[in-house]
Formats: sequence, C-alpha cells, structure tokens
Amino acid sequence: MLNTVNPPAKPQNYKTSVEIDWCPGCGDFGILNALVLALQELKIPNENVVLTGGIGCSSKIPHYVNVNTMHTLHGRSLAQAQAVKIANPRLEVISASGDGDGLGIGAAHIVAAGRRNVDLTYMLFDNGVYGLTKGQASPTLPYGEMPKSLETENLKFPVNPLFLGLASGFTFVARSYSYNIKHLKETLIRAIKHRGLAMVDIMQPCVTYNNINTKEFYDPRLYDIEKEGWNPAVASENDYKQKVSQAVLKALEWGDRIPMGVFMDYQTETYDQKLQKLVPDYGKKNYVMEPIETSGKPLNDVTELMDSFC
Amino acid sequence: MMHDLNLMVAGPQGSGINFTSDTFAKVMTREGYHVFTNAELFSTIKGDHSYFRVRVCKDMIRSYSERIDILIPLDAKSVILHTKELSKEGVIISEENLSDQRHASIPYREILQAVATKFGKSLAELNVMKNTVALAGASKMIGLDKEKLKKVISENFESKPNIAEMNNAVVDEVYAEFTPTHTFDLEATVYKKRMFINATHAVGMGKVEAGLRFQSYYPITPASDESNYLETVMGKYDFIVEQTEDEIAAINMAIAAANTGLRSATSTSGPGFSLMVEALSYAGMTETPVVIFYYQRAGPATGMPTRHEQGDLRYAISAGHGEFPRVVIAPGDHKEAFYDTIDAFNIAEKYQLPVIVLLDKAMAMSNYTVDPFDLSKVTINRGKLILNETSDYLRYRLTDDGVSPRSVPGVKGALITIAGDEHEEDGHIFTEDADNRVRMMDKRMHKMKFVHEEVPSDTKVKFYGIPTNKKVIVSWGSVKGPILDAMEIVKDVSMLQIRMMEPFPVEEVMKFLKGKRIITVEQNYSGQLADLLREKTGLETTSRIVKFNGRPIAFEEMVEVLSRKKLKEREVLTYA
Repeated sequence: MLNTVNPPAKPQNYKTSVEIDWCPGCGDFGILNALVLALQELKIPNENVVLTGGIGCSSKIPHYVNVNTMHTLHGRSLAQAQAVKIANPRLEVISASGDGDGLGIGAAHIVAAGRRNVDLTYMLFDNGVYGLTKGQASPTLPYGEMPKSLETENLKFPVNPLFLGLASGFTFVARSYSYNIKHLKETLIRAIKHRGLAMVDIMQPCVTYNNINTKEFYDPRLYDIEKEGWNPAVASENDYKQKVSQAVLKALEWGDRIPMGVFMDYQTETYDQKLQKLVPDYGKKNYVMEPIETSGKPLNDVTELMDSFC
Repeated sequence: MMHDLNLMVAGPQGSGINFTSDTFAKVMTREGYHVFTNAELFSTIKGDHSYFRVRVCKDMIRSYSERIDILIPLDAKSVILHTKELSKEGVIISEENLSDQRHASIPYREILQAVATKFGKSLAELNVMKNTVALAGASKMIGLDKEKLKKVISENFESKPNIAEMNNAVVDEVYAEFTPTHTFDLEATVYKKRMFINATHAVGMGKVEAGLRFQSYYPITPASDESNYLETVMGKYDFIVEQTEDEIAAINMAIAAANTGLRSATSTSGPGFSLMVEALSYAGMTETPVVIFYYQRAGPATGMPTRHEQGDLRYAISAGHGEFPRVVIAPGDHKEAFYDTIDAFNIAEKYQLPVIVLLDKAMAMSNYTVDPFDLSKVTINRGKLILNETSDYLRYRLTDDGVSPRSVPGVKGALITIAGDEHEEDGHIFTEDADNRVRMMDKRMHKMKFVHEEVPSDTKVKFYGIPTNKKVIVSWGSVKGPILDAMEIVKDVSMLQIRMMEPFPVEEVMKFLKGKRIITVEQNYSGQLADLLREKTGLETTSRIVKFNGRPIAFEEMVEVLSRKKLKEREVLTYA
C-alpha cells in the first residue's frame, strides 16, 4: 500500500551519510540505489517508512536509508517487519533480508508470513553465499556448485525463493536484478504499491566469494517474462489457482535462461482487513498515537471483566 | 460445624471433571465463601487420570488440603487412587455400588431415566449428565439452594439453553429423590463479592488495564490460557493477540511492536522462553520495553508440561548472551499478578528494558477467590515516550539516567535507528570504538541503579508475621499461599517473600534477615533462591525445604514440616 501525503512531499534525500562498508562492486549497491530511487519517486515521507534488516551484508541496508530502521536479529527481519505493520498499518514497511537470513535461519517466517498476507514488501538479496562469514553455501546455491570460497562442493539442493513464496501465499512475487536498476526500481515500486505481501527476489552477485553467479553469469541469461507475454495479474480466486501453477512452472526455470519480472500479482484480503473481523476498530484507530492514559490514570476500565468472574 | 470443606472430582481427562468442580466452586464463591482449587491434569486431551480439588472456607485460604470430604470419582481408578485421602466422615458420590460405608447412594439410573423421559431422550444420551447428578448430590448434602446451582449451570451453558435445561432438570430430580443420610454443616459466612479467577485471568486483566495493544504467543501449557483469554476480550478493548509460528517470532514481534510504540508483551513457559533468549538479549541491547510473562512448569526439556515447578529462577535472571539490564518480578498470588503486570509495563517503558514476570503452573491453573482489584491504585507511566514532532533526535542519546527519549516511527523529525550491534547515540553501528563501547555499556547498565533506587520496597519484598520471630521463611512465587496458611497454625515463624529477583533487593532483604534463622521453601530441586540469597547477601540458609515432584505444596505438609523441632539442611516434600 502507499502512504503518500497531500500535497506531495518534496523530493527528499532518502540516503543517510553513513559510510557504506560493502565490498567495492558489491551487488548490494544497485539494490540500495534502486530502493532510494523508488522511495523518492513514491514521495513517501521518511518518518512513515520503516525498513527492517536481519543479519548479514545485505541486512545492513537499513543504516544507509534515511527512514526509520530496525536492524534486527539473524533471520528475524520479516517477523519484526510484520509486527511493525500490524502495530501501525499507516506505516510503509519494507523488510530486507539475505538468502541465508531469510531462507535458512529465518525460513519459518516466510511460510507464516504468506499465511497472514501482511501488507509489506520483502526484499531478498540473493547471492548464494553467506558473505559476512566468508562465503559458506547458502540455501539458494545450486547443488554441486563450488564457488571459490567453499572447501567442498555444495551437497544440498537449492531453495527456489519464488516457488517458496508462491507456495506460502505471497500475493506478489517478483524477481529482479541488482545490475538492472531501472527494472529493480520499477519492480520495487510495484511491490510497494501492491496491497498485500510482496516478495522481490533480487539476483545480487557477491563479488568477493561467489565467482559462479556473477554479473557475467546473469547478464546473458536473465529475461523479462512480462516482455514475453506473461501477465501476472489475477482476476479471481479461480484464476489464482491456475495462475499459481503456471507461475510455479515459470519460477522453476533455471539454466541458460533465467526468468525475471513479476510472476504473481494477486489482490486479496490483507491481514489488516482480516484483523478487523476480530477487532472491529483495528486500523480505524491509531493505536500508536491514541493515548492509553490521562494524567497517569488508565483509560481502560476492567470493571466489566472483573464482574464476569463474580 | 466444619471449618473447611474439601471436594475432589477425579476421573479420566475430558470426562467433565473441570466443569463439575468449577460449577461447585462458582456456587460457593457466590455464597460468599473463600474458595481455593488445585488442578492436576495429565498432559493429554482425553483419557488419562486427572483430578480437581476444591477447598471452601469462611476464612481466607491459599492452599489445598490433603483431606477429602466429598469425593466424586468418575471411574474405578479414581476410587482406588483417592479413597485413601477421604476423611472418616467423608462421602463418596458414585454410581457404582461401593462396599465403602461412606458411599452415598444416589439413584443415578432412576434420576436420569426420569429426565430422559421428560425430554424424549434415551438414557444413553443422558450419560454425560452423571456429573450433574453427583454435583447436585453434593450440593444437597451441604444444604445449598438448588436454584443457585441451576443459575450457574445455565450460565455455563449459555449458548446451549436446552442442555442447560436438561442439566437443571437433573438437579431438580436429585433434590427431589435423594435424601442424604449424611450432611455437611459448613460454618456460615457473610456474603462478599469476589472474583473466582486464576493467574492467567489476573494477568490478562492487568494487561488490559495497563493499555496493552499487542500480545504475541505460541501455544504452550500453561501459558496460552492467558492469550486465549485475551483473545476473548480484544475486540472490546482494542488490541491484537497474534498467534505466531514459534516463540522466536513471538518475541521478535513483541519487540517490533514495542519499538513501533505499542505496549507489547508475550507469554510463554520454559521451553518457549528458551527459544526467546536470543531476542531477550536483543531487547536489552536495543533498550526495548517488552514484557515477557513466563509461566514456569516442570522441566528440564519438555519435562512435565502440566505440572508445577519453580525451576527457572536462576535461568530467568541470567538467560541471554552478554550483559544487559533486565527486571524480573515474581508475583506470589493472583492479586499481585494483576498489579505486577501493570508495574511491569511501567518499569519496562520508564527504563526501556525487558521485564520478565515470573509466574508458575500452580498459579496459572489454580482458580481461587480474589477481592475485586482496586483500580484507583493503578497508574500508567510511559516514561520518555515522544509522540510529537521534534528535532535533533538520537534514539540512544546519552543522558544522566541512561534513559534516552524514545521516539517511534511516524513521528516527524525523529527517525529511529534501532540496532542489536553495538551502536552510537544515533543507532548506527559502524564503530567498534572502544570508548563508545564503554559509554554505551555504562549507559545501559546504569539504568539498573535507578530501578534499584526508585522501585518501591513493596514491589521488591514483603514481610509477613511477627518481626521478632527468630525463624524467617524466605520464599517466592505461589509457595507464598501454603506458607501463609501454615503460619496461622505455626506461630513462631515469619516469612519474607522476595518479589523482585533482578535487580536483587539486597538492602531490603538484609533489613529483614540479618541475625535471623533462615529457612527457604521453594519448588525446585536445588534451592535456587537459597543459592541466590547467598550469592547476593552472603546469608546462609539453615534449611532448604524443597518439593519437585510436580505438585504444589499441600496445607498439611507445610504445617507438618514447619512444626518440626529440628529441620535438616535439606527437606524434601513429596505429597502428591
């Protein structure tokens, strides 16, 4: 969802002055630039944006973006991001995570997040290695590969983030590329505008440890599915069932041709709408700004609850 | 005249034993009696042996009795297991024809047949109402007005009025057909309005009063009753209860909601808390006001999920990597649980740190009568929370008291940067500067000094009994109940209840214990409070009374052990 102000905010500086400690040439720079451009284009007031990160190179991105940021624990970026949005649905929430962070230690949260469909954008920085700990195999590294940082070849099958996202119930699923800033920026804008849980799997070469999945590897292989006639929009619940199975097939492509673009764009009930079924005033009231006390005395009164036990 | 009356309903889990005991307890509560219950359940849904005790008295009672006056066994196993606890003047209410002369024979079959005929049902369909036969039989023996019993039954089956009607027809039939040869003449009482609640209700109401807006939990015994209770009232009081995928998500969500500006909590038991520990350390580092309600049960590992223990004291005060400030409060009864819950949120927000409220299974599953809470005593303190536009904002600004002004997302001019890495005043992490590290450690740890100085003495310790007594029992948590009850009989002991475990109230404890003979009573194997007491004060305990068989301490065994002329260094209580 989009929380712009009227009249629109002036173009703002969405970058902090903090010195960036990624390796020179790191794919993360492209993602940072695309995100900043997207925020600038969307003109969302800085104070209304929350960006969370987990732990890892990519998860340091909160420090470089001039919005509210929460640098959380390893694997917990998405869990905390959902709570921020539930706590204050007026905020624009973006969660950043690496493939180790999100698909390894934090994988349980992806499945649970899909079940909720909280309205936020999840950015997956996908490079096949654990960079910050010197390049161990991550959950997306293909089976049998052995980038230079590994001591042995990788014996595990990779997780396909798009497949996992579709299976878990993410209502917007896309892939983009950190060296295609224009496509990435546009994809992020679509993800942010999407009302529901969005995943953007971002191919992001690690220049230090992964000498296989490099810029030279991706450039000739990546193709835009939407330019080849794929329409991600879902018209109805029935249409969704069909679309999901087709999208999964597309998502599984890997080899000489690697698909990117938006695979799924399904508008359905979001978690804040669902919560209103249980808490009728949820979202109508601003829980953060609404006081819970006046001059130190509570505004809630549990007399009725006490009576129910008498 | 009987001073107190003890009723037990025993049988297979899922056979309606809690309905029977709760209904009886509610009727007695409304008569104006003090009621105390103890639930011993098997960790299963149906089938295994479980039992509920209900103790009733005109005076305050805080523990269960080993003695049974009315036994309602719902299967043969219960007869075998519990008849030995039945007093000589007691009664067994059972459909089976027992050779025991204490058996009250109620014509179950005739009664149920009469009601079945009246409602056009088969006898088999009324089998489930055997509990009501027993309940009505017990009520008649005590001389209760049957209309009061029927009223509670109607309320219990509010959504199923015809079930209520049939049950109440059973009550009428029992009162008409059953003439007891034995009656119980309980000392009369004066009516006073009281709640019949357990600690999960007390905590739940405390949270609502405190302005809770976000609660997360993963199902676990005995903690989830609290969250499930909150789910029944969240629509009315405007807050969210979120069932998460695991306890890691539960605490991370609670932390994020707190950092977004909501009063936020999570509730769990030992295994769940273990999963939360990394994030607890994060809450300390990020100075997040999150409150964890920790209902202890018998460990280690899965342990005995539905049984009682106080085995996690040392864990709760020390869990988490690194050093960070935290506050741990251990209420000793439901009334304290209510007020401590509100205090916990105030302390968390005032000092911006995690607070653990340490409870236990005995409190969570023991319903008893409590006077309505005095809401005029409740205050809310949100500390240095900023909700209006500001400038030059730094989330971790260094201040004299270590507490920084706290902004939240959405506030103009006050963007927050929160980080679990060591950070500077602005929350950014790209310094591992040695001086900054010292400043930030000092900032965080310094807050404990103010907690120590500013938290009222009553929140830290409570003293009971005659101050000049040489012997002082030191205890904590729900053990307070049986100790206070035993002190009505054993007059030469006093009690010091330690309520704040971290930071440990050294001065207050020394004030009451210096020169005394110290006896600790706690429900764990090693005597964790005794160890903590020695560590913090140097005071030695002369005897450690412990119980760790999963059952709370009974009134009689407490009296017996405290009455002993000589106590060994370690006394193990075993009543089950």
